[in-house]
Amino acid sequence: MICQCGRDKHLRRWSVPVALLYAATFVVFSCSLSGQVYGYATQGVSVQLVSAGVLSVPANLSLAAAGSTFNNFTGSLTVNYKARTTPSGSASLTVQANSEFSPSGGPLLSNGDLTFTCGSAGLGSSCASAQTVNTGVSRTIVTVGSNACTGGGGSCSSSDPASVQLSFTLANSPQLKTGAYSTSLLFTISVV
Amino acid sequence: MKKVTHFCFLGLIVFLGKTQAQFASTGTTTVSVTVGSEAAIQINTATTTLTTAATTFADYTGTTNLTYKIRTTQGSGTGAITLRVTSDFSPAGGPSVASPPTAGDLLQYTCTIASPGTACAGTQTASTGSDTSVGTFGADARSAAAGNSGSVAWTLTNDPVYKTGTYTATVTFTISAT
Repeated sequence: MICQCGRDKHLRRWSVPVALLYAATFVVFSCSLSGQVYGYATQGVSVQLVSAGVLSVPANLSLAAAGSTFNNFTGSLTVNYKARTTPSGSASLTVQANSEFSPSGGPLLSNGDLTFTCGSAGLGSSCASAQTVNTGVSRTIVTVGSNACTGGGGSCSSSDPASVQLSFTLANSPQLKTGAYSTSLLFTISVV
Repeated sequence: MKKVTHFCFLGLIVFLGKTQAQFASTGTTTVSVTVGSEAAIQINTATTTLTTAATTFADYTGTTNLTYKIRTTQGSGTGAITLRVTSDFSPAGGPSVASPPTAGDLLQYTCTIASPGTACAGTQTASTGSDTSVGTFGADARSAAAGNSGSVAWTLTNDPVYKTGTYTATVTFTISAT
């Protein structure tokens, strides 16, 4: 922030990172002055935007079955994400299980009990077929091509953040013991 | 000069707060499910035809095959398969479960149920007024994923008083689990 206000016209310089950050808010947080006349100086600010990606997922997903005649357990969640890729870059959203269902006696990821399908992606292309959730194996949810960006429309996605809905199915085998079971899914967005 | 400095600093704090959203390069979701007791039954013999082997009034016999799936609660659950004649033999003039033409005319059956079920004991008499047992299950009873087999072997009294013809009744099987 460069401020020459009132009686003190000395130039104040902040560290470069803070200066760049503050420069973006300069038009909102302008110094409030009491009507006195001050002198101003201008400085050009430039920023180089690099590829980036972030996502957000709900903390919990509960699967439930309709009826009591061994219909599969189902449930869905929405992944919100933002991505910016370079003219030669790409991005991908993936998911994998951190561990098997616990406690034992319930569903088994190693049996292929948990699968999901993808809805349409707000940015990029979503998975085209059902995916099996496993431990230690990443499954691709969305791939984003080059020169992509989130929000604003045009060459960017129309919504910010972009989103994709995942519909999960868990096999309801009579072999499962009654009880409550859970596992943890890790979602990752990678940008190159 | 001092006043201006304080105002600008406050604006910077607010801006930083707005950039700290829940978005990140990774996220974690806990997937949970509650598995409860469930039961399902499939009758594999859509129409069980009772026949007699000879022409000397030997009883009519036939077998109904079924497949069941079951999961009862660990520790304290139970399960059962029962049947009931929900529609008596018709037309009139032949056998009847509710009002047999001769006292002692009976529709009876014996049971076969694969583990983890226990078949009904001995010979059972079918009824239109109440459910009768085919099999029972204890706690933590779990069938195979594809289901387990069972059958009911029928015996119907061949009373000479029955008029010749074709007579049909409906039997409803019920499976339950806790």
